[in-house]
Order: sequence, then C-alpha cells, then structure tokens
Amino acid sequence: MVASRGEKRFWMLLTYAVLILFSVYCLFPFLWMLVTSLKPTEQIRSVNPTFWIDHPTFKHFANVLYHSKFGTYFANSVKVALSTTVIAIAVSIFAGYALSRYGQFRGVKSVGVAMLLSQMIPGVLLMIPLYLIMKHLGLINTPGSLIIAYTTFMIPLCTFMMKSFFDSVPMEIEESAEMDGCGKLGTIFRIVLPVSIPSLIATSLFAFVNAWNEFMFGYVFINADENRTLTPGIMLFKGLYLTDWGSISAASVLSVLPVIIMFAYMQRFLVEGMTAGAVKG
Amino acid sequence: MNAKVEKRNHTAPLPEITAGKTPAPRRTISREGRARRYALLFVLPAFLFLLLLNAFPLGQVVWDSFHYRNMVNTAQQGWAGLSNFAGVLHSEIIVKTLWNTVLWTVLSVAGEYIAGLVSAMALNQPVRGRAIFRGIIIVPWVVPIVVAGMMWTWMLTPEYGVINVWLVKLGIIEKPYYWLGEMNTALLAITFVNIWRSFPFFTISLLAGLQSVSREVVEAAAIDGAGVLTRFRKIVMPQLKTVSLTLIFMHIIWTAINFDFIWIMTEGGPFHASETLPITIYRYAMKEFDMGAASSLSTLMLGFMIVVFSLFYFTTMKKKQEA
Repeated sequence: MVASRGEKRFWMLLTYAVLILFSVYCLFPFLWMLVTSLKPTEQIRSVNPTFWIDHPTFKHFANVLYHSKFGTYFANSVKVALSTTVIAIAVSIFAGYALSRYGQFRGVKSVGVAMLLSQMIPGVLLMIPLYLIMKHLGLINTPGSLIIAYTTFMIPLCTFMMKSFFDSVPMEIEESAEMDGCGKLGTIFRIVLPVSIPSLIATSLFAFVNAWNEFMFGYVFINADENRTLTPGIMLFKGLYLTDWGSISAASVLSVLPVIIMFAYMQRFLVEGMTAGAVKG
Repeated sequence: MNAKVEKRNHTAPLPEITAGKTPAPRRTISREGRARRYALLFVLPAFLFLLLLNAFPLGQVVWDSFHYRNMVNTAQQGWAGLSNFAGVLHSEIIVKTLWNTVLWTVLSVAGEYIAGLVSAMALNQPVRGRAIFRGIIIVPWVVPIVVAGMMWTWMLTPEYGVINVWLVKLGIIEKPYYWLGEMNTALLAITFVNIWRSFPFFTISLLAGLQSVSREVVEAAAIDGAGVLTRFRKIVMPQLKTVSLTLIFMHIIWTAINFDFIWIMTEGGPFHASETLPITIYRYAMKEFDMGAASSLSTLMLGFMIVVFSLFYFTTMKKKQEA
C-alpha cells in the first residue's frame, strides 16, 4: 500500500479507536447489569454510580431464586425450548435430507421455496390467527401452544442448516451402504447422521437459543403463572419489583447464562448460520 | 452434480447383469419411483407444519379482516365488507402510528447500516485481537430482547439511571431526563437501543462482503493515486451493493414488524408516542378483543410487505439483467 508511515499509523490508531468504542458500546450494558445485580441496594441508589462494588452481595440472587416464581419460569423455558428443539430437529433431518438429495423433484423444490417464503412472514401477522387456533384446540395457557408455534418457526431454518451440512456428505458413502443392503432409514441413521453430529449439535443449539429468547408468543399465549416462560416472566418482574433494579438485574443475569454458555460453543457456527439462512432479527 | 453422474454410472451396467430376471426399464423406473416416494415422505411433516401453521393462519387473517370478529361483543357476526378497514383507517391514532412506524424503521435501519459498515471496515483491517473484537460486537445480537430492553430501561431511568447521572455530570443536560417517558424522546430512545441490538447482524454480513474485495485491486488503485475516499467509493462500495441491498430490504421488513422492543420498553406509550403498527395490532386484538380490526391492520401490513418484497425482487432482477 502506498502510504507514508505516519499515515499508516493514523489509520491503525483510528481502527483501534473505532473497535474499542464499539466494544464499549456493546459490552457496557451487560457489565452494568452484572455490577447492579451484585451491588447492595444503597449503592444502586447512589448519585455517584461506580463499577466498584464495596460490599458485593448475593442478596438479589437469593431474592429472585427463593422469593419469586423465577424457578418455575426457568423450568418452563427449559421444557418448551427442549421440546421445540427435539421436534424441530426430528422434522428437519428428513426435510433437510430430502432438499439435499432429492432436490430434483418438483414437490421437494416447492416445499423448499415455501420454507424460504415462510421466513419472511412476521410473527405479528400470525399472532392473532394462531391465538384463535390455539384457543379452539384448548391449548391456550399450556406449554403445548408455545412448543407448536416455536417448532413451526424453527423448522425452515433448521432444515436449511441441515441441508447445507448434508450437501457436504459424499454420495458415495451412501451408495456403498445401499449396496451392502442398508435401507434408506438405516442409511440416514447409521451413515449420514453420525458423520454430521457436530452440525446436528450446532443446529440444535440454534433452535434452543431462539426458542429460549422468544418473547411475543410467550407473552400472548400464556396467562397462567405456573406455565409462564422466562422472557415474559422477566418483563413482569418490572411491574412486580417496581424499582428494585438489583433483583431485575439478577434475574436477567440468570436468564442470560444458558445462552452465554451455548454461545461460547457455537460462535463459529453462528456466524455461518447467520449468513447462510436468513435469521429473524 | 458429480454425485448424480456417478450414480448413473453405477446403475447403467445393472440391466445387463440382471437381464434374465427383471426387465431393465421397470427396474430403473421403480428405483426412481422409490426415491420420489421417500422424498415426498421426508418433506411431508415439514410441509404439514407450513400448511397448518403458516399458510392457513395467513389465509385466516385475510378472511377475518372482512368479517366481524369481536370476542366481547358477539352480537355482530358475519361478513363485514370493508368496514373493519374503514374503522382502523379512521381511528384517531392511525396517522400517528403510521408515522411512528416509518420513523422507527427508517432511523433504525439507517443507524444499523452506518454502525455495521463502520465496524465491519474496522474489523476488516489487519489488527491484533480481531477475533475478540468480533466476538464482543456480536454479543448484543445473542441476548434475549427482554434482557436487552430491561438493561437499557434501567440505564435510562431518571432515578439513578447511569446515563442520566453521567450526562448531568458532563454538563450536557441540567437534570435527569425521563427518556422513555417523554413524548418527544420515547421512540428515539428505543430506536437507539434497537440499533444497538441489531447492528451486529449488519457487521457480520458486511464483513463477509468486505473480505471478498480483492486486496490487489485496492492496492493497484492506491498506486494509481486513488485516495482513501475514492478507493472506498469506486472499489469497495460497488462490491457491497448486493449484500447491502438484501440487508436493508430484509431489515425494513423486520424492523417495521418488531413488537418486542417497543412493548418491553414503553408499551407504545406515553400517549401512543412510541406506538407502531404491531403495537396497534396487539392492542386491537388483546386489549379491545376486536379480532376483525386487528386482522384488517395485519392484512394491510401483509400488503405493504408484499409491495416491499416485490420491489426488492424487481430491482435485483433488473440489476441481473443489466449485468
């Protein structure tokens, strides 16, 4: 590059400055939440807020865990997100396999296009009819309604992810299995799936995190406290605790934990997935 | 493609070997037929989910928008013609809502694009710790919207909120300001938070685009005397055109339909100051139980989306034809 050393230096410094600025912008809210959750109440209500905590306390965490419905919400979220993941993956394995291997058939192709289009349908549009359908089926206020809705939204995404993984499995392996007398299902479960286990895990985590983070349907479909999931639950804390930001922060930290742990594992897949199949933002 | 050719080679000699037992043509047809059966069987569950929980509800929305569907006042039933549409379009707040939706969408997408482009270009430079910076920048996008909304609400509160305290200390404002509670700042404050949460998606996508820009071409231009700005405008930006167009169109739709952020932070208040279309739809459906009105607004929104989508489709098609 034709540039004087001084010029080069200037751009380097500018780059670092921009990156550090963005990092602060991105991370600050989380750090502040973490600090708030550990501060005693008097320090939270200080006109001189600092990052330094004089007497760190787990009082807010204890409050959330022992004196609220947090545990119930958490368990419900786990239940809903896990069921969604299992059903969505089971459906997507076959759909993804069909898209990858039988793409030449018109029926398969049109299902693929329909899935792509369904990604563009906003949840708000489906909220009302799905609410009415769930009501007719008597599923309102049950985890079933959320599991069905989330599964529907996850299937296209998981299918596309699975398809692109299956595309990289060579056809020859399958053919030799078929020659050896392995049936179609046997080929999928004994040959194709074992080679794509890492991809399978990545797709599952993706579905889990998306179901875990969803807010609107959980808020609309569930009114009973014993079936409420975590995301609407946290919003209710705001009304419940009013200005007890320590407890709200503690609940937030606890609800982000599973996501962060999974994120650490799936970061590299996430970037691929984000750019490969369009993800609802 | 290769795999398919391979497959044909394998099956080709088969008729000769089995010629005596099975007629050759029937065997190839049954093989093809079996594949077709498997294919349809495998996509069936996904297809059923799509049909019953995407296509059917979507049809239901359009159908309901022409019918009286009030969950409380069940006296009026049946065909409503356009009266639901007339009702929502004549309501006092519809102009405000539409204006808010446009403002919220345009400002959000513009801010996200600028932040995404700047951060992507910085990440594209050969600096130390790029992976770490990239990991940090992606963080806002991973966290549940509820948590993000709560954190920012806390930081923006007039009582002890850290942003207010610091702004007062820096002398930028005189006394703490209720950013989310005042008519003129509520929507802007949520827009700012929305940009914070969504720009990483732009960063990652634009970074992928930037990485495909050839270093040699940029260097050659530099040798020919093109300045930083010229290089950016004439070489880098044209390469980012397609990905930018896709990103912007998708986010126009995704932002316009976003319910979560606004509902979590202000519930559309104060006095509808931050109310956008999805909030209005929710209010009609879940507060006034007027499913007909809510459906007609949804149908209007669907129409808007189809327009945006076809606009996008035709602009990209035209580009392809020109190229």
